[in-house]
Amino acid sequence: MDPARARLLVEARLGRRPQDMLEAAVVLEAWVGVPAQRALAAAKALMPATPAEARPSVGRLPRPSSQKGVLLEGAAFVISVIAIALWAAPLVSSLGATVVRHGLMVTLPLTIALQWGLRRRWLDHPHGLAQLADRALLLLAGACATVGLPTLVLGPSGMLAGLLTVTLTGGTILIRKRWALVYVAIILVATVPLMAGLSPLPVLAAAAGATALAVALALRTSAMPAPSSTGQWERAVAAGIIGIGLGLMLVLDRTVSWTEGTVPALALLPATFASFWGGYHLRHLEREMPRAGSGIPVIGERTRGLARPPLGVLFGALGRLMVLAGVLSVGLMVLTPWLGSSARDAGVLLGFALLALATMLVSLLESMGGGAWALFAVMCAAAAEVAVRVDGADPFSGTGLVVGGAVAVVLVLPPVVVLLSRPASTLATALWIP
Amino acid sequence: MGPLPPDPPTRLALARPRVLLTTEGTYPYVMGGVSSWCNVLVNSLTEFDWQVLPIVPPDGRKRMFELPDHVSEVGRIEVWSETLPQRGRPRPLQRRAASRLPAVLVRNLLGWEGDADAVVDAWVWCRRFPAGVRSVFRSARGWSAFLGGLQDVLDERVPEAGTPPVLDLVEAAKLYQTLYWVARTAAAPTPATDVLHVTAAGWSAIPAVVHKTLHGTPLVLTEHGVYVREAYLAAVRNGDSPGSRFAATRVARGLARVAYANADVVSPVTDANAYWEMGLGIDPSKIHVLYNGLRQTSTPTPPPRARTVVSVGRIDPLKDVHTMLRVAAETLRYVPGARFLHYGPVTKSEEAYGRSCTALHERLGLGEHFRFMGPTDDPNGAVRDADVVLMTSISEGLPMSILEAMGEGRPVVSTGVGGVPDVVRGCGAVAAPGDDHALAMAVVTLLRNPDLAWRLGQRGHARLGRIFSEAACVDGYRDLLQTVARGAAPQDVSIGLAA
Repeated sequence: MDPARARLLVEARLGRRPQDMLEAAVVLEAWVGVPAQRALAAAKALMPATPAEARPSVGRLPRPSSQKGVLLEGAAFVISVIAIALWAAPLVSSLGATVVRHGLMVTLPLTIALQWGLRRRWLDHPHGLAQLADRALLLLAGACATVGLPTLVLGPSGMLAGLLTVTLTGGTILIRKRWALVYVAIILVATVPLMAGLSPLPVLAAAAGATALAVALALRTSAMPAPSSTGQWERAVAAGIIGIGLGLMLVLDRTVSWTEGTVPALALLPATFASFWGGYHLRHLEREMPRAGSGIPVIGERTRGLARPPLGVLFGALGRLMVLAGVLSVGLMVLTPWLGSSARDAGVLLGFALLALATMLVSLLESMGGGAWALFAVMCAAAAEVAVRVDGADPFSGTGLVVGGAVAVVLVLPPVVVLLSRPASTLATALWIP
Repeated sequence: MGPLPPDPPTRLALARPRVLLTTEGTYPYVMGGVSSWCNVLVNSLTEFDWQVLPIVPPDGRKRMFELPDHVSEVGRIEVWSETLPQRGRPRPLQRRAASRLPAVLVRNLLGWEGDADAVVDAWVWCRRFPAGVRSVFRSARGWSAFLGGLQDVLDERVPEAGTPPVLDLVEAAKLYQTLYWVARTAAAPTPATDVLHVTAAGWSAIPAVVHKTLHGTPLVLTEHGVYVREAYLAAVRNGDSPGSRFAATRVARGLARVAYANADVVSPVTDANAYWEMGLGIDPSKIHVLYNGLRQTSTPTPPPRARTVVSVGRIDPLKDVHTMLRVAAETLRYVPGARFLHYGPVTKSEEAYGRSCTALHERLGLGEHFRFMGPTDDPNGAVRDADVVLMTSISEGLPMSILEAMGEGRPVVSTGVGGVPDVVRGCGAVAAPGDDHALAMAVVTLLRNPDLAWRLGQRGHARLGRIFSEAACVDGYRDLLQTVARGAAPQDVSIGLAA
C-alpha cells in the first residue's frame, strides 16, 4: 500500500496523526480492511522519519463523587445533637449526675471511635454498605457487646453508655444509608417519653433497639454482590484510636459539665454547625486536587501556582468554620441570657470551636495518608488536656479544651498545608494509592 | 535486583502435571468466549490438575462456572482493592534502593525500546517484598524517580514510535497508579506448579512471568485476540486525551513484550494473530497456532427459510453494531420481509454505545424488522433459527459465534477481521470492516438463494468437523501441555493457513 495513501486513510479515520505505527496498523486493519501483515508494513512506512514537535496533553479529570443528600445528612446530624442535648436533664434527674457523667465519659470516646472506624473500614467506600450487609451477625454481636460489656463493668452508667453508643453509632450508618429521617424520627420519638419523665433506661433501650432494627432493614436493601475487600483494617483501627482520642478530648476538661441539664450540650451547637459548614466546603478538594495538576506538563517548571486551588479550599473551610463558630457563639452569649453561664462561657465555646477545627484537620490529614501523624497529634493534644486536668489550675472554663484543641491544630495544620501545597504528589502517592 | 531463590522440587515426572491457568477478567467469573474456551479446556483435559489464578476487580462477583474436582482456584488477585500483602517487608536499606522501582517500570514498560529483563527483575523484587511495594509507591522518592523515568520515555525519538505527547501531572499520577497495580500483581504469590498457562499477553502474564523467572517453569501463552491490538482499538475509540491514550497503549505494549519474551510457546487461536505477534517482535519459532474448536452437531437441521438473519455478540463498539444496523436497512430495501435478530448484552461501561445503537435503529426506521433480543444462554439455538448469520466486528481472533453458526450449518456473512477469512473460506462471504453495502449485498444474495445458503451452511458444518472441532482443539492443547511439561519443545511449530 502506498504510504501517502495509507497516511491519508489513517488520518481521515482518526481525525489526527497516528500516535505510532501500531495505532496506524490497527486503523488500517480494523477500518480499512488491510490484512495484518500488510497493515503493519504500511503503518511502519507511513510514519514520518523526522519526529514531530511534542504536543502537550490535558488529561480528563476524574468525575467527583456524588454529593447528593449531604445537606440532609447535616441537618439530621444537627437535629440529633439538639434532641440528645434535651435528654441530659431527664437522665440526670432519674439516674443521678454521677451515673450520667460516668456514662458520657464512656459514650463519647467510644461512639466517636466506632464512627471513625466504621467510616474508614466501610462507610467511606462505594460498596461499604453492601459489605456491612454481609456482616449483619457481626454487627448484632457488636451491638450486644457494646451494651453488655460496659454494663458488666460499670453497672447502670455502663448500660447508659452502651445504649447511647448503639443509638449514636447506628445513626451514623442510617445517615450514610440516606435513612436520616428514620433516625431523626427515632430520636424525636424517644425524646417525648424522656421529657415526660418516664424511666430513661427502658426508653433508651427501645431507642437503641429501634435503631438497630432500622440499621438491619436499611442494610438489607444494600444486599448485592459485595467486594471482598474494602478499607484496610489497620487504617480502620488507627482511625478508631484517633476517634477515641478526640472523644477523650471532649470529656477530659473537668470545667465542662455534661450533667447540668440541657444547657452544656447546647454549647456544642455553634461548633457543630460551623464544623459541618467547614467540612462541607472541603468537599471541593476532591475536584481541586486533580484540577491543580491538570494541563501542567510533567516536563519542565511545574510548581508555580499549583498549590493555590487546594490551599484556597483549605483556608476557605478554616475561615468558614471559625467565622460561623464565632458568630454563633457570640449570638449564643448575647441572645440567651436565661441559659446561665455554662452554655455561654466564652472559654468553653472557644474550646469547642478549636476542637471542631482540630477534628476537621485531623480527619483531612488522615484521609490524605497521614494517619500516623494525625494519631500522634491527637494523643499529644489529649495528653496536654490531661496535664491541664492534673495541674488543676484552670484560669478559665474550658482551659483543657482550648489547650488540647490548640495543640492538635498546631501539630496538624503544617503537614496538611505541606500535603496540599504539592497536589500532584499527594494525589499520586497518597490519595490514589490506598 | 537480587539472587533468585532455589527451584522448588519438580513434579515433571509425575503422572498428573499441574497447570497454573492465569486469567484476566474472564474465567471463572465472567461469561464470554475466553471463559468458554477455558471451561472446555479444563473440563476436557482431566489428566492435568488445573490451578486457576484469576485477576479480577474487587466487585465481589460470584463464579459463573462450577469447577470440577481436578480444578481449583488457587487465590485471586484483586486489583484496585485496598487489601494489602502482610508479608515480605523490605529492610530500610532495601526499600531505599527500591525507590527506583517506579522509574524502572515506567522506563522499560513504556519505553519503545524498553528492557524486558529489567521489568522482570523489578517484578521479582516485588514478589520477594510484597509488603514493600506500597511503601515504595507512596514515598515522595518513588514519585520523583517515576517522573525522571517518565521524562526519559517522553524524550525518546524513534520514527516508528511517533512523538510522545507531553503528559500533564494528572495523567502522570494515573499512570503511576497503574504501575503500582502492575507491581502489586507481580507481588501476588503463585503456587508450585509444572506448567504456566497464560490466557492473554497482558496482566495475567505478570504473575506467571515472575514464577517462571524464579522457578524455571515453562510458560505457554494463548492469545485469543491480540492484547496490544485490542488496547489500541479501545484507546482509539474511547476518545481519551493523547496522554492517557499513550499511557494505556504503551503499558499494554510493555506487558505484551515482557510476556512474549518470557513465553516458551505462544499459541494464537488464528494465523492472523500470529502475524501481529511476529510484527510485535516475537520469535516465530515460538509460535504454535491452535485453532479454537467447537463440538459439532451430528447433522444440521435445514434452515427455516424465514428470511431471518441472526447475530450473536455483545453490543460493543468492537462489534460495530452501527454497521449491522445499516446492513439491515440496506437489506430491507431489497428483501422487505427480512427479519434481523441480535442476541447479546450491552457491554458493561458501554451503555452510551448501546443508547447510540437504539437511536440509530430508530433513525433508520427499522422497527420490528431488527430486534435486540438481549443475552442468550443458548447461542446454538439462536443461530439454528437463522437463514444467515451476520457478524460486523472490527476486531476478532477466532470468534465462537462463527464456529457456532458453522456447527449449526448456517452460512456466515462477516467482516474479514482477525482469523475470520481463514475460517469462513468456502462457507460464507467476507467483506471489509464497515463496508455495509458489501455486507448487505451478501446477505441479500443468500436470503434470495436459500439453496445456496443451505449448501454453504453444510460446507461450513463439514469444515468445522475437519478443522475447527472441539476434539482437535483439545487434543492440540493436550499434546502441547504434555510436551511442555516434559520439558521438550512442541513439535510441528509452524504457521500455516487452514486448508
